[in-house]
Amino acid sequence: MNTLVKAALSAALLVGTSYSALAVERGGTLKYGRYADSLFLDPVLNDANVDIWVLSNLYDTLILPTDDGKGLKPGLATEWKVSGDGLTVTLTLRDGIKFSDGSPITPADVQWSLKRAADPKKGIWNFLVGSIQDVTTEGDHTVIIKLKNTDPAILASLTVFNTAILPMKAFEASEGTTDEEKAKSFSAHPISSGPFVLQSWDHGQSMKLTRNENYWAKGEDGKPLPYLDGIDFEVIPDDATRILKLQSGEIDGAEFIPYARVDELKQADGIDMKLYPSTRVEYITMNVRPKIGDKDNPLSNEKVRQAMNYATNKEAIIQVVTHGVGSQMTSFMSSATPLHKGDKPLYPYDLDKAKQLMKDAGFENGFETSLLVLAGNQDEIGIATAVQQMWGQIGIKLDLQQVDNPSRTQQYRDGTFTMREAAWTDDIADPNEIASYFVYSPTIGALHSGWKSDEADKLFEASQKEIDAAKRADQYAKMQDLYNASGPILPLYETPYPVALSKKVQGFVQIPLGNNIFGAAWLQK
Amino acid sequence: MPLLGFIFRRVLQTIPTIAFILVVTFILVRLLPGDPASAMLGDRAIDADVQRINAKLGLDQPIPVQFLYFTKAVFTGDLGNSIGLKLPVIELIERRLPVTLMLTGMAALIALLVAVPLSFVAALNRGGAPDAIIRGTFQIGLSMPVFYVGLVLLTVFAAKLRWFPVGGYGQNFLDDLYHLFLPATTLALSLSAVLMRNLRAAIIGVVGADYVDFARAKGLRARVIMTRHVLRNALISTVTLFGLSIGTLLGGAVITETVFAIPGAGRLMIEAIYGRDYPVIQGLTIALALLVSFTFLLTDIVQAWLDPRVVR
Repeated sequence: MNTLVKAALSAALLVGTSYSALAVERGGTLKYGRYADSLFLDPVLNDANVDIWVLSNLYDTLILPTDDGKGLKPGLATEWKVSGDGLTVTLTLRDGIKFSDGSPITPADVQWSLKRAADPKKGIWNFLVGSIQDVTTEGDHTVIIKLKNTDPAILASLTVFNTAILPMKAFEASEGTTDEEKAKSFSAHPISSGPFVLQSWDHGQSMKLTRNENYWAKGEDGKPLPYLDGIDFEVIPDDATRILKLQSGEIDGAEFIPYARVDELKQADGIDMKLYPSTRVEYITMNVRPKIGDKDNPLSNEKVRQAMNYATNKEAIIQVVTHGVGSQMTSFMSSATPLHKGDKPLYPYDLDKAKQLMKDAGFENGFETSLLVLAGNQDEIGIATAVQQMWGQIGIKLDLQQVDNPSRTQQYRDGTFTMREAAWTDDIADPNEIASYFVYSPTIGALHSGWKSDEADKLFEASQKEIDAAKRADQYAKMQDLYNASGPILPLYETPYPVALSKKVQGFVQIPLGNNIFGAAWLQK
Repeated sequence: MPLLGFIFRRVLQTIPTIAFILVVTFILVRLLPGDPASAMLGDRAIDADVQRINAKLGLDQPIPVQFLYFTKAVFTGDLGNSIGLKLPVIELIERRLPVTLMLTGMAALIALLVAVPLSFVAALNRGGAPDAIIRGTFQIGLSMPVFYVGLVLLTVFAAKLRWFPVGGYGQNFLDDLYHLFLPATTLALSLSAVLMRNLRAAIIGVVGADYVDFARAKGLRARVIMTRHVLRNALISTVTLFGLSIGTLLGGAVITETVFAIPGAGRLMIEAIYGRDYPVIQGLTIALALLVSFTFLLTDIVQAWLDPRVVR
């Protein structure tokens, strides 16, 4: 960790791995169909994937994630060095970097942006950079981050959207008195540090981005990125309509293709059906409190949870719900998450073993329980009806309760739910985010399940400061073993991001963290 | 003059209706499980963030106190800011409601243009082949769900034949009309079926009435009998039905707007409910309630004009 990470990678690396041998062509506007519009494009104050997944096109970070979502590559900083004691990070800014308005990106902008991201009073993402104590500058190119404690994930966190660099003066000069008011007025006419600039935004309908003429990265042809003149995001909530629009040539790309349509679109003319590797995992969370309300809860018994796991034929669910697109989980975290451990599917289907475990737990005759299902969500309903039938074989009578999302969230947060379906995607190329929510009880009580393991909590706390990579990997291995064996979830499957593109679209990538990267995308004429 | 008094009385009656809707909506959204902060922050929210945001929104106050603040704001023309979109509710309504109005207006027009002539053809050929064909076709239209009809129209006329765009909204008035034609037709289909059936039955009833026989005996021309005596009287019940259907039409717009990717008020309402965006739900409810009340008022006026006995 204390070695100098000399980032001799050229900007050509930005071009990514998804490149074909074709010569790039410049110009054109890419039209992309989204299922929902963004809400608030402030890197620090946003709270949803609809914002996060497009922010990186507007604002650059010091370090960028690689296309596989696991590694680091230079962004606004060309070099970074972590001190021997692991308590200081020194970053060197790239020469000649500018915001979209032509003003220089200075160490002062970086200092201000990072301090804002780490401010515990601002937004909900500050925990990702919670180890930052202070940020100082030196000369025209150097930024020094002082840490409260060693933080093995600090470099990965400098690739995350909330540490993006904004122009301090322009932001502070924006209308309003509070930070939120200023963020509102700034984000209406933002000044970018990323490859694109917001041109116009008709909330709920469309968002238009144009190229940032001052962007630093160079393309394959040696000229500045991006290749595109702009991107038009169109909001098309209905899946079938989004696909029809792509098929009719009105848009060039469509996100969130339903799994049922993937095969058909793979065969379709002129369409490139992409399945980008992701960190998305689908699972059932179980409430493991001994009592829910005044009723005894069989799910508090570890053996019962294991029995339900063995009685769930995940391969069948993958076929029925994801039409074969998904794959079985080998740990609670996705196989694309760094430090993931596991090569065999968790709890292979074994009905006899499940029945034996139910007997051992004293529930030979089964019991009645319930599962919250998101009303109208076909995937969740598919999973629910499948497990209802599968668990019936070990005597469990499952009541399916269809509710809308806020109702479910309330029961979840109150700890009054019995079981619910859920999905997770990482925001950072480090296992600490998922572990803090799933495993570490002080964050949200291990997914509000009431599950708590002192050993797992200690392992997590130690791993948050462990800068010896091998030791940290070992801590994560133990944490995963422990959680996978006795934890409060029933792992279902991992799925890639299904995106359908016109064959004209090249160089676009959605990285495993979900970010849609248009910086090196281009349109074949 | 009695008509003016009638209108005045009807407007007065609208006020308590709107006030009642306002109170009920205000309380109902707060009785729904879940709160805006949780809905906004999602599953990952930590307690401190949820409490901080709900407090900032004033939702930690008792409901009567919140209602007082809300009423005061409404009377000063301030409907607050959307919690999710962080934009003034007034601005959102100004932008989204005209889209829905245009969609439903166009749908209503298409429904009338289709239903009125065809109901005449059907009624005057009662029991014959044209009657059977018209009624049969509309029966199918009536029984198909809106989202299905929408997708079929999109697939055939937009994706395959390329006569229309696949959803979305236009850049100017004519472009809007072009974009809204398929969704308005979708929406109009079931309404025209209802109107057609009603009007056909009414025409059959009126055509057999004594005063029509008398008009005929007087030697009036068929066209005059049809427009002045038959249509005017047959329309009375259809106008009422049409007015009442505007509410249903607005409901249907929610689905149509989603299928056709139209940024209207219906979609905004659905998103606001899922996001527990109280100010948007309240603001839109007021706007829609005013709109529906206005339509009912208009219906009553037209009815009073068609049938002066209503005023008395």
